[in-house]
Amino acid sequence: MSTETEDGHDDHHLPAVEDWPRGFGEASWWPFVTALGAAGIYIGVALWIIGDAISPLLGPAAVAGSVGLFLVGIYGWLYHAFITKFWSRDTTEHGHASLRWGMIAFLGSELATFGAIFSYYFYFRAGAEWTLPSTTPDLISSLILANTAILIASSFTLHWAHVALRDGDRTNFLRGMGLTILFAVVFLGGQALEYFEFIGEYGFTWTQGVYSSAFFGLTGLHGLHVGLGAAILGIVFVRALYGQYSAERHLSVSTASMYWHFVDAVWIFLVVVLYVGAGQA
Amino acid sequence: MELNAQIAVTVLMGVFLVAVATFLTRIENWRSYTPVGGGGSFIEESGYIDEEKPAGIIRWLTTVDHKDIGILYGLYGIIAFAVGGLMVTLMRFDLVTSSSLLGTSTYNALLTSHGITMLFLFGTPIIAAFANYLVPLIIGADDMAFPRINAIAFWLLPPAALLIWAGFFAKPLGLFGPAQTAWTMYTPLSLGAVGPSADAVGGAGVDLMLLGLHLSGVAATMGAINFIATIFTHRGEEVSWANLDIFSWTILTQSGLILFAFPLLGSALLMLLADRNFGTAFFLTDGGNILWQHLFWFFGHPEVYILVLPMMGIVSYVLPRFAGRKLFGFKFVVYSTLAIGVLSFGVWAHHMFATGIDPRVRASFMAVSMAIAIPSAVKTFNWITTLWNGRVRLTTPMLFCIGFISNFIIGGVTGVFLASIPIDLVLHDTYYVVGHFHYVVMGAIAFAGFAGIYYWFPLVTNRMYQASLGKAHFWLTMVGSNITFLAMILLGYGGMPRRYATYLPQFATLHQVATLGAFLLLIGQIIWLYNMVSSWFEGKRVESGDPWDLRQDNVRTVEWQWFEQKLDTQIATDGGDEEVATDGGKPADEAEAVAEERDDD
Repeated sequence: MSTETEDGHDDHHLPAVEDWPRGFGEASWWPFVTALGAAGIYIGVALWIIGDAISPLLGPAAVAGSVGLFLVGIYGWLYHAFITKFWSRDTTEHGHASLRWGMIAFLGSELATFGAIFSYYFYFRAGAEWTLPSTTPDLISSLILANTAILIASSFTLHWAHVALRDGDRTNFLRGMGLTILFAVVFLGGQALEYFEFIGEYGFTWTQGVYSSAFFGLTGLHGLHVGLGAAILGIVFVRALYGQYSAERHLSVSTASMYWHFVDAVWIFLVVVLYVGAGQA
Repeated sequence: MELNAQIAVTVLMGVFLVAVATFLTRIENWRSYTPVGGGGSFIEESGYIDEEKPAGIIRWLTTVDHKDIGILYGLYGIIAFAVGGLMVTLMRFDLVTSSSLLGTSTYNALLTSHGITMLFLFGTPIIAAFANYLVPLIIGADDMAFPRINAIAFWLLPPAALLIWAGFFAKPLGLFGPAQTAWTMYTPLSLGAVGPSADAVGGAGVDLMLLGLHLSGVAATMGAINFIATIFTHRGEEVSWANLDIFSWTILTQSGLILFAFPLLGSALLMLLADRNFGTAFFLTDGGNILWQHLFWFFGHPEVYILVLPMMGIVSYVLPRFAGRKLFGFKFVVYSTLAIGVLSFGVWAHHMFATGIDPRVRASFMAVSMAIAIPSAVKTFNWITTLWNGRVRLTTPMLFCIGFISNFIIGGVTGVFLASIPIDLVLHDTYYVVGHFHYVVMGAIAFAGFAGIYYWFPLVTNRMYQASLGKAHFWLTMVGSNITFLAMILLGYGGMPRRYATYLPQFATLHQVATLGAFLLLIGQIIWLYNMVSSWFEGKRVESGDPWDLRQDNVRTVEWQWFEQKLDTQIATDGGDEEVATDGGKPADEAEAVAEERDDD
């Protein structure tokens, strides 16, 4: 898939093997559609915030529609760039390296995203007047220990699956991927259960001062990342079920793994500082 | 009945929009370089590609070409510059008399939006414009590493601007007003006093601004990831780390800063948004206000270097062309860039000397803030030494480069004073600070931007701007900047507090002088805009691949090699204006020249 272009470079690598609109080398509707969807989510939230001045249903409706548009955009984007013609499209060291670096840089930005809320928590935790809200439940329960064990185990099953793929063992690759996603879903379920108990039974909500804000801020942000990670692994899994990936072609398994291990590491840090380190007597 | 009328109007509007869209798609190429390589045809090689780009507006909506996206970023940045500039013109008009002519809440809204617009919607995107267009050309990549992420990063920006400015549109509708929090959004002011939708600093206008800022931060982060991946993995075979050009070095460093600064701001913005709307208590407790300042400036100070480093890169890149010499001490300019990049994360609390934070913390931040002046001075001396004994040609871009150095010295030296705790405690809340940072952001950052725009104008448009208008623009801008910002520094020495719409009568003269300077700036920018627009459509066509005569000093850079090739192939395929036709092939000695030119930089 190379053409000669105005740049005079040979081997001009096109952004995708196929695209919409068809028939052009440097045109794609997908970024525009996806941007419309993503921006629409923000605009929907804005409409929802000003809902008392306009219609209260407009915001949620705009968010729902925009999420749909966003997903359509992402689907088309990924389908054309990575999924269609999986076996015949060029894979170069060049492209591999940039996707890897892209993921590494993205994880760097994630460090800063989490860093803001962790800094917030440390700032007050290290202060002289540190107290927990009176409604704080027992933080270290069997639920959270089980959940942590499950998330750590999921990193191992994912790695096991990846090694199996590189050894050409397709069955174990699929097993490992399936197990990892199962663990992710169980973890999210556990987190939902924890929220349900904390809010419903103990009355511990995000409105009760510094610790509760930090607790729901950090676990909520992490939960979103687990959800996104599960979605990414789910895409990889479905592609694997359709027969994609081999011992030589497994880049997206690698990048998805990098993301998943990162989310796992953040969780271990989070449990240590936010649950164990909360200073609960 | 009323509902039916509404539906009818909606349908009519829909039909109208479709008609407009159809019309636009039928307009032939708005810009006319036909992307065809010299030599053979590309159509035979692939059944998939018929053409590179669709015609009409669709081309711009769907483009994933780094050059087109660079142009889009540039237009966006210029529109934001105009909006932010008109906002500040209104503010300076307001400050002609000691009482507020526009009303204090309008002034506060303009103050907030001027800052946000210039930093987030003009500064960051205009740098992305240069970087998008030039970095792939200079490092020998055929495009960015992720062309489509490049496109989405741009398309998130227009809605971000609409959200940030939403209050100005909503106010006439009686919905809510624009944010009046100042661009720093300090709590508890920005938390609002009486509930989310009816507070004194703008109500929902603040919420929408926070959402818009978050969206623009997401866009900036995606752009940064893209530049890092591009410079790491898409350099041409002949471009090593040792001979990577100075502009790409600054873009790489800047992208690294964005990577850690913008997401952190993003989280802080969402925490503030949650406090305003969902009852969380991130910044409500004692100490929360100082914490906001820590988080904000941990982003905010690197943001200054996010804006200035690439602009320093442009000066380091352009200035030697018209000094007829190589950049003096190239390695040290690179090292100082990296040093600034690292140190920039260790100076943020110098914005907070007056807040009563621990004196030991203050002292350490004072030390690092003073230390960061050293790499900045290294650069300055390198630029001056580059001019030494050079064959200096005072073209418009060169004038702006020299103006940059001059203003940067004043902005920088006033900054060293502010880094000193005792001086800062006296001057912190005065116009001195406003004068200081405007010397840097307008006097230096915008000047380097103009230098870049003039220098690469022929590269992008194939035409030359009108030189006399360019000179007029420079002198009006140079004189206007110095009148305005020097007056502000003097106002600060006199004790005029910043951020106010009104002032005591003894400050009237200097305020009027500052307003005079601002009007000179306005006239200069109008001339510039006219020059750019008219030259783009009707300027003299550039016939030579070396419009700046850089070859005579052996300082031509690689993007002009690409330009020469573009001119050649255009002639071969367009056949339009020019009667000359070449085979479009690449002469062998030209190819060697590229390699040599790379070594020079």
